[in-house]
Amino acid sequence: MRDSAGAAVVEEDQKRRIVAGLRECRASIPKQGRLVAEVPRDSLVSLLLLLKADGFEHLSMISCVDWIDAGELELVYHLWSYEKKIHVMAKTRIGREAPRFLSILPIFRHAQTYEREIHEMFGIAFEGNPRQVPFLLDHWQGPPPMRKDFDLRGHAKETFGVEEKAV
Amino acid sequence: MSSAQTIAGAGRATRELEMYFGPQHVGMVGNFGIVLTVEGDTVLRARANPGYLHRGFEKLMEYRTYIQNFPLVCRLNVMDPDPNEALYAMAVEDLAGLEVPERAQYIRTIVLELSRVSSHLLWMWAYGNMLGADTFGQWTMGDREYVLDLFEMLTGGRVYHTYIWPGGVRRDVPPGFAEKTLHVLDHLESMLPEYDSLFFNNRIFADRTKGVAALGRDDAVALGVTGTNLRATGACVDTRKDDPYAAYADLDFEVPTRQEGDSYARALVIRMEVEQSLSIIRQALSRLPGGPAWTKTPNPFKWEIPAGETYVKVESARGEAGFYMVSNGSDKPYRVHFRGPSYPTGILVLERLLEGARLADVGHIMLSLNVAAPEIDR
Repeated sequence: MRDSAGAAVVEEDQKRRIVAGLRECRASIPKQGRLVAEVPRDSLVSLLLLLKADGFEHLSMISCVDWIDAGELELVYHLWSYEKKIHVMAKTRIGREAPRFLSILPIFRHAQTYEREIHEMFGIAFEGNPRQVPFLLDHWQGPPPMRKDFDLRGHAKETFGVEEKAV
Repeated sequence: MSSAQTIAGAGRATRELEMYFGPQHVGMVGNFGIVLTVEGDTVLRARANPGYLHRGFEKLMEYRTYIQNFPLVCRLNVMDPDPNEALYAMAVEDLAGLEVPERAQYIRTIVLELSRVSSHLLWMWAYGNMLGADTFGQWTMGDREYVLDLFEMLTGGRVYHTYIWPGGVRRDVPPGFAEKTLHVLDHLESMLPEYDSLFFNNRIFADRTKGVAALGRDDAVALGVTGTNLRATGACVDTRKDDPYAAYADLDFEVPTRQEGDSYARALVIRMEVEQSLSIIRQALSRLPGGPAWTKTPNPFKWEIPAGETYVKVESARGEAGFYMVSNGSDKPYRVHFRGPSYPTGILVLERLLEGARLADVGHIMLSLNVAAPEIDR
């Protein structure tokens, strides 16, 4: 285990490496062991390559957040380094309309399943992912259900016939 | 039936068959299907077919207040519910800036380890069954009941505990809990050598599992494997050591590893972990500090969490479980994403390890990965 003074040095060092290696990159250290880096969509692959070369070999998951008011979808790549013991959230935003993004399969093999789920739940098409087939949903015909504009109550009412009860 | 005759008549000439394996709890705890392409009794290809347990938790959580989400999160994993409660509590505490009393951290550690032991004992039952060791399975399942008794005494629930919540734990330990826990620990410790002589040192178990479905360290990392499955490949990796939470930083325990990476090694790592967990519970009980077990949180009906985001993670019985939570300052989470350790192992790793396996081994390979289907589907 590392002491807290040693830890801060590791994170600061990694932050400097990221900011120096990429243009238009904003990085912050919210707390010990966590690092957040935001880049424009074109730089995300470079950021992931840089991090992987720096020992961030474990991709924990890929999250997607629908910022409907800004008209954007945010992709968050969670990486962990077993040596440095830092969790990096590499983030980028893409437009909400007909979203397309590059698959990161050549960098992290098991991103396949995460991209497959985001394709199903948020409607992002990942160029280069060969397996964008239905994952969890069964014969789904509607819009991507994890988006904020999906009418959950309307869908439940239509599908299961739930009546609104007066309280 | 001309093709069937071809199989019978032409000796080695066989044909490929597509076979639906599951989803009725075959080789995995929880409904999960695999589509196998087999030739004779050799698996050529496997395609995981999840979704039978998809309940849309992440979407539901966006529609519920922070207190309403609390009894929901433990349902993310039936066998090992407490890490999910801990994750949710840690994420909310991080966003709201809540301090957790030290006593609560120790109680959380005890509950998390009891949950790990109960999950591992249930796994031993299922794994033993898949290999024909029914007696062993019934022993471990019977001993698991004593752990569930402890949960019942502490929380009121046997399977789902809804106990670890933001700010600490729902109530303090009742009188007599420590004595009863020590009694159960003594019993489990006396049973472990019995498990060994009946199953883990058994030649039949070793012959069935050695060299089956092996995975190397680098492959495992590249495929996102964590937890006992990764430690079975020689990597000494454990969130409890690497990114300590609850009271783990104060406690003394080892991280058992094996080098082989096969079904045999994965089983032995789980067996060795039980021993460590029992030791952790003993230490936490003997050092349980005084003070309150809960920091009072604001009125749950009016509780708004400051905007922000956080990623918290714990070592569940299966590996790295994580919560990514985003708040926009309202009384409901804006987005919650759950990382289940079974997610990578249940899809890509399983598909890869089943290629070339014998049909009779499919069940135990699935179980050796210790996959929980509800974590994949959410």
